[in-house]
Amino acid sequence: MNLFLQVDPKTFWNAPHGSTELYVKLFAAFIIGIGVAVGLTFIPAQLRKWVVRFVTFGAGLFYVLFWIFPRPISRTPTDAPRGAIEGVSFWIADSQPVIMTLTNVIAGFMIGLGIYSLLRVHFAKIAKQQRDWAYSVVLVTSMFLMVVLGYGDFLQRQNPANFGLADEKNWGLINYGKDLLFDGLLQNMDAGMFSIVAFYIMSAAYRAFRARSTEATILLVTALIVMLSLMGVVEFMWSGVIDRISPNNGLVQSLKLSAISGWLKGTIQTPAIRGIDFGVGIGLLAMGLRLWLSLEKTGGEA
Amino acid sequence: MAMNEQPSAPTLAEKLQSLPKPVIYGILLVFATIPLFFSVKLPNKCIDASIDFYAQAMKLPDGCKVILCSDWTNSTRGESKGEMEALLKILMRKNIKFVLLSIADTQAPQVAKDTIREVSSAEEAHGGRHYKEFEDYVNLGFFPSGEGTIVSINNNIRSVAQGKKDFPEGSGPKDALQSPVFEGIKSVSDFKMFFLVTASSTNRVVLERLTNCPMMYMVSGVMVPENTSYYASGQIKGLCGGVKGVYDLENLMEVGINNSGPVQITSDKYKGDSIPGWPGKTNTGKGTAYYLALHFTLALLIVAVIVGNVGMYLSKRRAS
Repeated sequence: MNLFLQVDPKTFWNAPHGSTELYVKLFAAFIIGIGVAVGLTFIPAQLRKWVVRFVTFGAGLFYVLFWIFPRPISRTPTDAPRGAIEGVSFWIADSQPVIMTLTNVIAGFMIGLGIYSLLRVHFAKIAKQQRDWAYSVVLVTSMFLMVVLGYGDFLQRQNPANFGLADEKNWGLINYGKDLLFDGLLQNMDAGMFSIVAFYIMSAAYRAFRARSTEATILLVTALIVMLSLMGVVEFMWSGVIDRISPNNGLVQSLKLSAISGWLKGTIQTPAIRGIDFGVGIGLLAMGLRLWLSLEKTGGEA
Repeated sequence: MAMNEQPSAPTLAEKLQSLPKPVIYGILLVFATIPLFFSVKLPNKCIDASIDFYAQAMKLPDGCKVILCSDWTNSTRGESKGEMEALLKILMRKNIKFVLLSIADTQAPQVAKDTIREVSSAEEAHGGRHYKEFEDYVNLGFFPSGEGTIVSINNNIRSVAQGKKDFPEGSGPKDALQSPVFEGIKSVSDFKMFFLVTASSTNRVVLERLTNCPMMYMVSGVMVPENTSYYASGQIKGLCGGVKGVYDLENLMEVGINNSGPVQITSDKYKGDSIPGWPGKTNTGKGTAYYLALHFTLALLIVAVIVGNVGMYLSKRRAS
């Protein structure tokens, strides 16, 4: 039963987009949520631990059942379950979208929590005029400006009367502001920050990539072959040389850069990565099991 | 007194091993930026993963529907934007409608929409048609919980779009499920392909959870090795990686696969199967623009490693 979904026919759990009813329900849900969160802080620590364990186990159990319980095959919306097994199967399948919505909401709250934490730290820094408090002012101002201008621009573009905003000539202060902050600054700083990595790679490769041992030499030669194979001109010229030496000899042909790098990737690299993946997978399974059963003590208790 | 001893001049070996950082950075800056001013068509051998990507994309029926998960931002625009542009050109020229979503970054949907707008305008300027939001593609936006969302897409895609609004410019919010893109869609298997353009770990999130729709990935260069194992196992049907992958795609769009002509790209895998390109159209893009710069920087990296190693060899010989 899709109790929580925004489906037709309308139920208690949904409301039309933009309606007063929806906002009232959202506000009520927010207040109840805050109430539950505050209420949890008042219960004894020992009991709180069990609440966390219960919620963690319940959440994990749902996905365990989702993956291992027999699933309905070729089910149509009008199908009714026959027997208990199918009933559970249908229930799990129908509940998954609800769980998905809940996890998205919880993840959304984490963004809110991040914003709250950021503001708390930086407002405190500004109020006490601690070291580098001016940077905090820049951060908080930028954040508010981005929110205000971004949302203002979004609202303007939604209005059918402002269809001309697709053309820059019709922009106003808000649109230019958003364009400057998002496209002009944030996007380019994002790209600029990551491009710095190239300088670190170059410097690190020059200083650390040395043939100090047999293993390091093998790694070095392999890396050079793969890098050369990515250079179309080198690959083209080398293939030309190989073709001129012996166009039909399989052994000579296998000396082409693409053939060598293909062999390295297919025979050495891919199996090695698969091996690592298997190891990581088993580790994750063990860790997941420990978290699910609340056996993991590191990371703090509730 | 030892204090008055003049330090001996550094040897060649020492000099080779200790080039100042500003010099290295300066050379890299020059090598990476100057080639960007020249658009040079360089010889190239397309790799199998790119050929498969292009072939599978071209084999999609005209006017069909696909999912496009855009998980990149401008931090990797050098690679990801070129990939996205090449993919959009293929989709738009084949009139393929798509669902757009993101599970990696809050900025990603806006960055994707801007790219779609740019490619659509460029295609329109060259005789193509304008791709309209909501009509030709529907934007589901950002999902903070990627894992749960992909499971839901696999389980019941309509439930993912239920209650979601698309916000096409110049009109109010519209129910995503009312979009023509969702017409006739009952499950994810009604979509012909799931394209993932990513520069983050969402490749695994999707791979581990999506079982009812074929997938193809476009990833950044550093992600190619880990995704090659999924391509080799057949879990993903094609793989486009980094600038090299984009350049491959741009070449393939120009000449196709196994076609006659002055420039040919052949593939034994598609023997007897001629896959067309769009010769003369605006197929070149970021791949062609950046491939020369990739050459220069890789060459510089190789030279830097060789110089360092020669210096180490000389100092070892001197010491012995």
